[in-house]
Amino acid sequence: MRRRVVVTGIGMVTPLGNSVEETWDGMRNGRSGVAQITHFDASTFPTKFAAEVKGLRFENFVRDPERHQFTGRNSRLSLAAARLAVDDSGLDTNRIDRSRFGVYLGAGEGQHDFENFMLTLAPALHDGRFQPLAFSRFGLERLHKQVECEQEPNMPAGHVAAQFGAQGPNCNCLTACAASSQAVGEALEMIRRGDADIMISGGAHSMIHPLGVMGFNLLTALSTRNDEPQRASRPFDRDRDGFVLGEGAGIVILEELAHAKARRAKIYGELIGYGSTADAYRLTDPHPEGRGAAKAIRDAFEDAQISATEVQYANAHGTSTGGGDVAETVSMKVAFGDQAHKVPISSIKSMTGHLIAAAGAVELITCILTIRDGVIPPTINYEHPDPQCDLDYVPNTARETKVDVALSNSFGFGGQNVCLVVRRFTA
Amino acid sequence: MGVISPIGIGTAAFWESLTAGRSGVRRIEAFDPSQLTTTFGGEVRGYDAKKFVPSSQRKNLKIMARDIQLAVGTAKLALEDSGFLDQRPDPFRFGVEFGASMIPTELDELAPSAHASAKGTTELDHKLWGTQAMSLMPPLWLLKYLPNMPACHISILYDLQGPNNSLTQNEAASNLAIGEAFRIIARGSADVMLTGGCDSRIHPLAMVRFGLLGVASRRNDAPEKACRPFDADRDGLVPAEGSAAIILEELEHAKKRGAKIYAELIGFGAGCDGGSVEQGESDGTGLRIAIQAALRNARINSQDIGYYNAHGLSTVAGDRAEARALRAAIGEHALEVPVSAHKSNLGNPVAACGAIEFAAGVLALQHGVIPHTINYENPDPDCPLSVVAGGPRELKRPTFLSANTTRLGQAAALIARKFEG
Repeated sequence: MRRRVVVTGIGMVTPLGNSVEETWDGMRNGRSGVAQITHFDASTFPTKFAAEVKGLRFENFVRDPERHQFTGRNSRLSLAAARLAVDDSGLDTNRIDRSRFGVYLGAGEGQHDFENFMLTLAPALHDGRFQPLAFSRFGLERLHKQVECEQEPNMPAGHVAAQFGAQGPNCNCLTACAASSQAVGEALEMIRRGDADIMISGGAHSMIHPLGVMGFNLLTALSTRNDEPQRASRPFDRDRDGFVLGEGAGIVILEELAHAKARRAKIYGELIGYGSTADAYRLTDPHPEGRGAAKAIRDAFEDAQISATEVQYANAHGTSTGGGDVAETVSMKVAFGDQAHKVPISSIKSMTGHLIAAAGAVELITCILTIRDGVIPPTINYEHPDPQCDLDYVPNTARETKVDVALSNSFGFGGQNVCLVVRRFTA
Repeated sequence: MGVISPIGIGTAAFWESLTAGRSGVRRIEAFDPSQLTTTFGGEVRGYDAKKFVPSSQRKNLKIMARDIQLAVGTAKLALEDSGFLDQRPDPFRFGVEFGASMIPTELDELAPSAHASAKGTTELDHKLWGTQAMSLMPPLWLLKYLPNMPACHISILYDLQGPNNSLTQNEAASNLAIGEAFRIIARGSADVMLTGGCDSRIHPLAMVRFGLLGVASRRNDAPEKACRPFDADRDGLVPAEGSAAIILEELEHAKKRGAKIYAELIGFGAGCDGGSVEQGESDGTGLRIAIQAALRNARINSQDIGYYNAHGLSTVAGDRAEARALRAAIGEHALEVPVSAHKSNLGNPVAACGAIEFAAGVLALQHGVIPHTINYENPDPDCPLSVVAGGPRELKRPTFLSANTTRLGQAAALIARKFEG
């Protein structure tokens, strides 16, 4: 029999709060974490709002804050959520085999030291042409060694391993909006396979910086509802006009069941299913028939050895984009068949915005809390049904109902589809 | 397999250069490097991406940064080599798993926008950024640089709908990608995986970063001599670029279609230092753990290893930590097992190095020959290893161990052996 894997710790830092309970309280009450962008002056950007993490006191989350002067934002978010999750798990990292204690994150690529980088780049333009020669000289003079090196995408997982002494497998994957779900899925497989006993997994990401907002604005992927930011993220609603950028981190502690039992750990739930496919269709558009997404959902069911009828809640990818929400609805119908209209589906991105690489992990934690408390968080801003999105999206107010099995969907830009299934733990 | 490297495009040219002891390291040609602290690197020359994508897809090259162009090239070579270019099985059972880096933006695309919003050399006008600067950028700009794009483009080009992942642990990225693909097939989630890695550090920003970090060699007067792993006169790593793609296939699936089988992947292990991130280089803890885990997984004895295909970064601290890690992992045998570091020829194509080096190992199994480490002239006594130098050597036991680590000690090791039927 394959090794069973349970969740023994959770941590979140999101636009709704810098802890699990604060975030969860926000979701249960249908609160929006969206506001004007404060990280930089976005007043002339097509999109001037986002869901930012507010008032994070990073120094309270690490044992060595003086060493983190140059630590990048993704690493800070990762470290904060990991601290919450490790503390929550009660794990004593001095009493475990640290070579079997690993980290698998889906943490975003770092962000440029924007102002300094641009001021280094600007004078390298001569007569309309970029001069590498000049850039090299200015770059070596102006750019900051540690700030630059903190942008490497292996840094968040490296920082987390260092903070907790994790010497097992150390991975980071970037599959856009599916990254942290994929990280959790592959971390699950590592434990099942016996490559590790405990994994710190999840993700962190912030693209709320000028190049991030610009990049998505150029792709016309973001909502531009600047007069009503809190009503901008409206997954499955007829009047949606794009996604709302968010930032944050979600971390789970995955542990082999016997290991968790031996140390009498609190068990939140059992991770039982993982499916991963590619659309192989287009870079920016999901497959219109939800081909890859439906297959990923079915693969996750097969892996979990359950049928669609057992799923009592689906946490949608639901980004609030025109095509994405329709494709997800179609894929749910393909994967669930007749059951599609019966299973409650909600998108917390209506409240948190889209945490990109970190979205999946935060959504998985939401499923775990739904199972724990018997409350399904709502899809807020759902006012006008879209005829092409005709499922039960748990509109606007949380729903109390017992949930034992939940599905979490994550579909990445570029066509990666990842689905996870979590179940209430029963011995 | 497919390889696009500083010492050759295609496995035949790559192998020929390796065994001839050629270096692919030269003064950088892609741009004027005169002001850099390191003016040379392992650059891929003469690669024309247009020849490596179907004509209907050529317009997409515009939205592929150099790293991605290298990746789609090796993917085509590997598919061709495996017989999968024209005919492929169930697309849902065929996945892609690639190691990739944060791809730096092409500076000539961004420079006009920076210029348009800068006021002198000390002030940036964010308001201008939102208006003028943005209007100068191409609409699909962001897509060119996302690290998942190599694997996405490959999946789209060849309709590969199985598991798709992109790993970003720098030097360990493609070792981890190959290892994960190996596990995906072993657990039955796919029958075939196109795996490997791609990277290009021959980019002004990447080169400036190496300069700031002070980890790159400054042997600007003799670039070909600069990458000298385990040699006492080394003075730093050599930035490079390249890509390799490896087709992994479930054995029965391969036999059934009468595929040519290069080798059998038998072990994978990963580890991490889990120590301070501030020290400049890894202390080798992660590497030791990874090697030990791979040996356990392969269920072989360290005596069975025919050669250790080393990380061999060519930095003083890195090489010494690696020698210590090998010693700690396999004991006294570390003094005898033949070791070769192919970065001596290639430089360090970061997220691609593991895949290119793995390809070298597989070719070594095929030919029964260990390609030698070049520039190994004055052994570092603190690296007590049997480095294969002076010329290729016979491979006596048909199994190799290949490992890589990042400077944070994020490490992964792979073990493959000749397929005996």
